[in-house]
Amino acid sequence: MRVLEPGRAEVSAAAMTFETDLAAALAARDAPRVAVDVLVPADPYLDTAGESLRRRIFLTRGESGEDLCLRPDFTIPVCLRHIEAQGVLPRRYSYLGLVFRQHRRERETEFRQAGIEDLGEPDVAAADARALADALAALATCGLAGDLTTLVGDQALFEAFLAALGLPAGWQRRLIRTFGDDVQLASALTRLSRPAEDRLAGLEPELHALARAGDRGGLSAIVRERMEEGGLSPHAGRDPSEIAARLIEKVAIAEARLDAAALARLKAFLAIDCSLAAASGELRRLAAESGVDFGRALAQFEARNAALAAAGVDLAALDYRAAFGRPLDYYTGFVFEIRPRAGGEVLAGGGRYDRLLTYLGARAPVPAVGFSLWLDRIEAIGGDTP
Amino acid sequence: MSVTLAIPSKGRLKDDTIERLAAAGIRVALDEDARSYRAAAPEIEGLDVILMSASEIARELAAGSIDFGVTGLDLLHETIEEASGTVEVVAELGFGHADVVVAVPEAWVDVDGMDDLDDVAAGFRQRHHRRMRIATKYRRLTEGFFTRRHGIQTYRIVESLGATEAAPAAGTADIVVDITTTGSTLRANRLKTLDDGLILASQACIALRKSAMRDPPEAAMVTQLCRMLRAAAV
Repeated sequence: MRVLEPGRAEVSAAAMTFETDLAAALAARDAPRVAVDVLVPADPYLDTAGESLRRRIFLTRGESGEDLCLRPDFTIPVCLRHIEAQGVLPRRYSYLGLVFRQHRRERETEFRQAGIEDLGEPDVAAADARALADALAALATCGLAGDLTTLVGDQALFEAFLAALGLPAGWQRRLIRTFGDDVQLASALTRLSRPAEDRLAGLEPELHALARAGDRGGLSAIVRERMEEGGLSPHAGRDPSEIAARLIEKVAIAEARLDAAALARLKAFLAIDCSLAAASGELRRLAAESGVDFGRALAQFEARNAALAAAGVDLAALDYRAAFGRPLDYYTGFVFEIRPRAGGEVLAGGGRYDRLLTYLGARAPVPAVGFSLWLDRIEAIGGDTP
Repeated sequence: MSVTLAIPSKGRLKDDTIERLAAAGIRVALDEDARSYRAAAPEIEGLDVILMSASEIARELAAGSIDFGVTGLDLLHETIEEASGTVEVVAELGFGHADVVVAVPEAWVDVDGMDDLDDVAAGFRQRHHRRMRIATKYRRLTEGFFTRRHGIQTYRIVESLGATEAAPAAGTADIVVDITTTGSTLRANRLKTLDDGLILASQACIALRKSAMRDPPEAAMVTQLCRMLRAAAV
């Protein structure tokens, strides 16, 4: 089904020019414009962003019972379209059109978005830099060049720091899940630094003993028996050896706690908040002081900064905050958002989402990065064609 | 002028409700034909009493087509967004107790609490190429508990309208969010509740639809009825 782009009756001639110019400017950045349906399957959204999205999108049911929604963004339909068409990589797409979201406190439900998705570029640092440079250039096309603040973050540095601190894998996973959500992250850190009291209080002695001995086979046999008793297929979901392995890991770290030194280092990392030009120096200083090595993540970070500078972006004018990220599991590295310097809502946001295409059904992993612009906000603060 | 009160149409819930209303001074007279859905409160002029299923009562409160309704807290919280502020619990009635809980297969020996479930849910996709599935009829309560309370985003809800506890064995879901009074049905299906998996301790309650549309005599009557119901509540 192909739905025509809904034209708003009140769209003014000036707004039309603004959109036409912007669409042309994006497409001219080696990113041909694509059109996607307004009504799209809801499952890919709920599967990737989670069930909580249900309350924020407009859902309806198709004749054969499938959930459909008015597109709440372009990234997922553009990626799905690419996968379906078995498009050649690397490939860039641009888009411009309406997205639909609801929020209890706001009456507005239609928003205009435009942006670029960059799929399959193996030079990750260059693609990241290009996404941010494109976003800044697009804002300049809209008449917004100065008076902006740009915040940059990188989850890969956080992950590398956790690994270098030597934290147990289970803890690393838990902390990475909360990255970008300051409240959840603080609460996870608090729980990990508390003594382990009775984390294993409910565990049967036999299981405890097997887990402590690392007897994965013995545990698996018990779990398999219980699955049979409960009528669970050992192939339908979690299998016995997976459950056994996680119990062994849980027992191994139950008595451990995040020690004060590691916690202090982690907090020092998360507190880094400086210009992007100074970020590399700050990170290197922290690495030297705490004796950890960021490894490849720092090399990537520096390569990206170099690519940004080469693209004419002034690093001293951008902010880096170590704790800035998006708590969605398909965002994997670089993220950014651009706001008016005077404060206010995000005008442009973007980031790297290397896991998304496989989530959506791509056969092999596809490195991907993109950004989107909030056109109504840009127009409201006076952005226009020069 | 009239104010409507909806009460459950069958079973223990109906009998307990009628008893409790009588204690509050609201005698409900039922039709002689036990299959009839008609009822009345002969001593209270202007109060219409109707019989409905408990879930229908929650829906009609949300829709604003009845003034008072007796239903379960679980159905009320599931049907009506709390923050909307359109429905107020006048009194909890002290019967119909049941818990909405998170339950996982007993074979999941590594999972005792929501922290464990968070970890399992997060790694699920990479191992099994799909999200962890939760069978429930409580979509809103589940989402509120998992996502807003515990920050867990990585799961899918499978709507289940009956025999939720059988979903893991049937292979339609991995875990369940279900209502239970004693836990025996869950145990019989080899499911265990999590230590911190209590989502809601439910019981029967009488709720009022807030409305600015009532004329002064109706508003006065609503106030009077609230007073009677609260006075009789335990």
